[in-house]
Amino acid sequence: MSSSAAPIIAQGLVRHFGSGDGAIRAVDGVDLSVAEGEIFGFLGPNGAGKSTTVRMLTTLLTPTAGSARVAGFDVVTQANDVRRSIGVALQDAAIDPLMSGRELLNLQAVLYGINPASVKARADELLERVGLTEAAERRVGTYSGGMRRRLDLALSLIHQPTVLFLDEPTTGLDPMSRITLWEEVRRLNREGTTVLLTTQYLEEADQLADRVAIIDHGLIVRQGTPAELKAGIGAPTLIIAVAAHVSQTAAAVLAPFGEMRPTAEGTLGVGLAGGSKAVAEVVRALDEAGIELHHLELHEPSLDDVFAEATGHRLEGAGDAGPKTEDDAAPKPEKGRRKRR
Amino acid sequence: MNLATSPLASPAATTHSRLTQTWAMSKRSIFAIARQPALVVPSLIFPLFFAALGASAFNKATALPGFPRVDSFLDFALAGNIVQGVLFGSVTGGTALATDIELGFFDRLLASPTSRVSILLGRLAGAAAFGGFQALFFTLALMPFGVSIAAGPVGLLVVVLSGATIATAFGGFTAAMALKTGSSEAVQGSFPLLFIALFFSSAFFPRETMRGNYRTIADVNPVSHLVEGMRGLVVEGLTAANVAKALLVPAAIGAVSITLALRTLSSRLASR
Repeated sequence: MSSSAAPIIAQGLVRHFGSGDGAIRAVDGVDLSVAEGEIFGFLGPNGAGKSTTVRMLTTLLTPTAGSARVAGFDVVTQANDVRRSIGVALQDAAIDPLMSGRELLNLQAVLYGINPASVKARADELLERVGLTEAAERRVGTYSGGMRRRLDLALSLIHQPTVLFLDEPTTGLDPMSRITLWEEVRRLNREGTTVLLTTQYLEEADQLADRVAIIDHGLIVRQGTPAELKAGIGAPTLIIAVAAHVSQTAAAVLAPFGEMRPTAEGTLGVGLAGGSKAVAEVVRALDEAGIELHHLELHEPSLDDVFAEATGHRLEGAGDAGPKTEDDAAPKPEKGRRKRR
Repeated sequence: MNLATSPLASPAATTHSRLTQTWAMSKRSIFAIARQPALVVPSLIFPLFFAALGASAFNKATALPGFPRVDSFLDFALAGNIVQGVLFGSVTGGTALATDIELGFFDRLLASPTSRVSILLGRLAGAAAFGGFQALFFTLALMPFGVSIAAGPVGLLVVVLSGATIATAFGGFTAAMALKTGSSEAVQGSFPLLFIALFFSSAFFPRETMRGNYRTIADVNPVSHLVEGMRGLVVEGLTAANVAKALLVPAAIGAVSITLALRTLSSRLASR
């Protein structure tokens, strides 16, 4: 598919907050092209610029520089056309807790100018689709986090958008709710909806996205299919834990086996240039140096390795698909934006 | 090439769709008020409490020079009680808008192709409905205690309309504050200012009984003029001047406050 027909195209997208020396460069020149029918994952930690990019693409923020077209329309000069064409589920599932699910769907239908005669059927269809038929008349304030997210998704679909933006759709959800939402996103995509989703969860990007862009400090540092990105890393990562006082010696022993890679504190990581068969040699070398191994594990390349290789640090909660329960991780606003250099 | 094929979204905004959107937003505001009794009840109870206090403490004050001829202090104070309730109620509307901004619901609205003005007007229409309801509620609640409307049923209708217009006028100010700050705490912080504005006005005593700086402040205080328009209908009767004052003074203040709110909305959207 040619990029001119891509439902989402961004070129040199920049967004600063503030001005002068104190300006915060939240997004620092993002280029991306999402093909029709694709699920595109925007992966990065809090404060990387994911939500700011989505807010520009959904017309909620004006770019400081650069341009973007969504569904064929310019996000600045044809903002209302963009809004009519897209569905948006923002971070935190901002839903009025005083209204019922059905009332919110009815309101959303009016906001999009949907023919009143078709609203009830459409609302019923969406409520059934997201499993909220029985809760439809209840106030949203009584919904669980997962139910709110599902309603949020239904609201974003009321006008049958061709392009769907999901900003951290599973943040704060328990594993079951997360999987349910993934299934629904896949189903929508099979029906032809182009999806751009942001996430800070590696597994989510790996499982769900056809292509992934890794963003850090407002810049896309890698882009491709998960398989391509992992293949680009090449060597598997060997992670060891040793006593702190022999850590430097251990690093020296590991160095000849490949490039050192960032790992969690208290561990050392090396990309084994010789592949997994080099593990035995590493163990022998450490033993000969008199270093006692406390822990050893071998990782085939993951998106976290790609992220670490590209940025020099790992994602928060790396290796995890996210919090185990809703209480483990409340949705966090973007923080730590980079100051102008 | 345009790819947009969302089959259900209206292709373009029309006057009819804007009105429909404003009405839908208005209903949402009204439902929100009705569904939060803990927020609403104080703005209904406190003015009645003041009315009871005034009736027991100041009934003989109606004989003072400068007081209009009234059957009871309650007749005189009704307009003040209504304006008191409406002013406090307007804080609730502004707070609700600020809460929408804080929770992100405002962004949901902005991400849709709905008219931006509808978002604001819907909120103000909710305030107007509640203001009209408050005017009717206070009047009916105090009637068993001797309150009567000299202007009759038509006068009562004008009082209700005046309450709605006053609510819109002050709702415009609190909406502007909500749009400027995006903080429900900041909007609630205006409550003491409204309280001061109320007590430095002719809400509970006629300006003719005041002296010095207090009188000067009351003379220029818009709240005095809001109260007096409505009071004329209650204690004097149905005259063109009283109807005009009851409706045009709040309408003029509303024109200022709504313009301010629209400009604040515009600058908020422009700064995004």
